[in-house]
Amino acid sequence: MSKGIVLDPTSSFSHDIVSSGPDVGDLAGRKIGFRIDMLWRSWDWVSEIWAEMLRADGAEVSFWRSMGRTAEEGVRMNAEMNAFFDGVDTAIVGLANCGSCTSWTIHDALAAAGRDIPTVAIATAHFEGLAHALAKRGGRSGLRLQILPYPLDILQKEQVHAIAREQYRSLLRTLGVRDRLAQQSAA
Amino acid sequence: MIPPTEERVQQHIVAGQRYPDETIAILPPLRSEATAEKIAINAVMAGAPAAAMPLIYAAIEAMADPDFDLAGLNATTGSVVPAVIVNGPIRHRLGIPYGAGLFGGVEGSAPGIGRAIRLAMRNIAGQHVGTTSKSVYGNPGRIAGIVIGEWEERSPWAPLAERRGVPGDAVTIYGAMGTANICDVVADSGIGLLEMIGKSLAYPGANGFLPSTAYSETLVVINPVWADLIAREFPKIESVQEVLWDKAALPIDWFRPEYRKPIDALGRIRADGRVHLVPEPKDVLVLVAGGEGGLHAHMVHSWGACLTVTRPIAA
Repeated sequence: MSKGIVLDPTSSFSHDIVSSGPDVGDLAGRKIGFRIDMLWRSWDWVSEIWAEMLRADGAEVSFWRSMGRTAEEGVRMNAEMNAFFDGVDTAIVGLANCGSCTSWTIHDALAAAGRDIPTVAIATAHFEGLAHALAKRGGRSGLRLQILPYPLDILQKEQVHAIAREQYRSLLRTLGVRDRLAQQSAA
Repeated sequence: MIPPTEERVQQHIVAGQRYPDETIAILPPLRSEATAEKIAINAVMAGAPAAAMPLIYAAIEAMADPDFDLAGLNATTGSVVPAVIVNGPIRHRLGIPYGAGLFGGVEGSAPGIGRAIRLAMRNIAGQHVGTTSKSVYGNPGRIAGIVIGEWEERSPWAPLAERRGVPGDAVTIYGAMGTANICDVVADSGIGLLEMIGKSLAYPGANGFLPSTAYSETLVVINPVWADLIAREFPKIESVQEVLWDKAALPIDWFRPEYRKPIDALGRIRADGRVHLVPEPKDVLVLVAGGEGGLHAHMVHSWGACLTVTRPIAA
């Protein structure tokens, strides 16, 4: 039997940042920007609750809504996104709740993380693996992810609000916020 | 699958007239560098003829255009595959089908070319169902692609690529959410056919009616017999597009209230209370192809806000 050599049809990739980036530390005075979208009402509902709670904890909160990402609108969206992330010092980016929106959520989260600001991408459980894979291939496997239950968008507003409230402290831990309650109990 | 030996790959690279380490495109979802060599390796494996390499390179370059949103398309839950539409004399040289059975089943090089591009999406771009592709149903075209030509010689209108600014050998990439048939055995006029085709395009779950889609396109493939009949009444392709666009609309009250609000927010409800499948007549792409048996048209709905891209094929 003779042997032959065949060439590798796959592509390799080596660049990666495993660090999750800087922590938020204290919330007071933080300028936190939510990237929301045109697809998921559940993400609007989660972000409005988190925004309310973050404001109560002393942060300033602003929103930017991503719309179409192709043609002239796509160019405008990229410019808006860059201006938005330039104006905040913490980014909460979602929602990875379908294939293409996971792709764009991670795309935008990587743009924020590239500014060396605390950044978290929000994904529902079904899309967690895709979000991780895209973050890694985007060169930042350490990108913070906060995972919401799936399916989320078929729930009623009150149910989604309840999930947002339950997940708030977990979000703060993911972002590296100093946990006052934990510090108090340790003291 | 043909083993990609160094010699075979070299022949394909030479035929493609590119340097082996030349980056043809960066391909999502994994943002991989698709070099001429990597693409050629996949083309050899797929059994694509070496002479098709300029077409394959042009197609992959076109797919990577930001307007096509390949990052979203390759990862989506949708059942989409980039269709490759070929214009120009290269159709004859490569045997790209444009007549009977063009969407599948006809002999020729199209399945090998399509398979080469699909393998590149898997092996280079990293599109794997279940991990980086979340497609709920997939698409038969994700196996050997959709590679078709236009029957330019039987079309009463200018070729699709030429109308899009690229005369001669050209490739047009379209985000195809599967194909569906439109049959008519009654119509005896151009307007009758266009009305049947236009109304058939407009079903509420079509991509163009998504409340999250501000704009999209649709593709209609008209057989040459019908094209002749239509052209007698509509010698200009713009008039054909206008009628199809007008008929491909639904009254907003067909939609439940929870749909109406986001559609309205996108400014898509016209003064007459209708929502059109696509924003403007130019967004209805028309192609003449298919067998001379007539009787059928094909409609190919698009995906998301992905926009069609046309590129020249290097001589």
